[in-house]
Amino acid sequence: TQETVININGMTCNSCVQSIEGVISKKPGVKSIRVSLANSTGTVEYDPLLTSPETLREAIEDMGFDAILPD
Amino acid sequence: MPKHEFSVDMTCEGCAEAVSRVLNKLGGVEFNIDLPNKKVCIESEHSSDTLLATLNKTGKAVSYLGPK
Ligand SMILES: [Cu+2]
Ligand SMILES: [Cu+2]
Repeated sequence: TQETVININGMTCNSCVQSIEGVISKKPGVKSIRVSLANSTGTVEYDPLLTSPETLREAIEDMGFDAILPD
Repeated sequence: MPKHEFSVDMTCEGCAEAVSRVLNKLGGVEFNIDLPNKKVCIESEHSSDTLLATLNKTGKAVSYLGPK
């Protein structure tokens, strides 16, 4: 299991947090996700054989948020 | 162009912004978001199913209210 922290811009309320956690936690390979509204981040534990930070980033973008991977 | 009305569970401007973004990504839509009433009215040639699937991407509770 690996962990990645994705910067998420555009979240303004708790329902944004819940939407992202709800959708991303159902993606293949995702073990857990914790979204912080205060820090504008999502911390994802994932299986590197099934998904990648880039795939997860795109999935968050698809939901209408700006998602950026740390370098 | 046909008009469709959807109920989307949005709670603030930011939620509405996320909805706007997914709709703009789809393209071919003109829409109006009524935040207090949690309604989105979309004018588009896309089918209501396509629009519903697009709105569902936001992860918010969405339902189709009907043509307008
Ligand atoms: Cu929100
Ligand atoms: Cu909101």
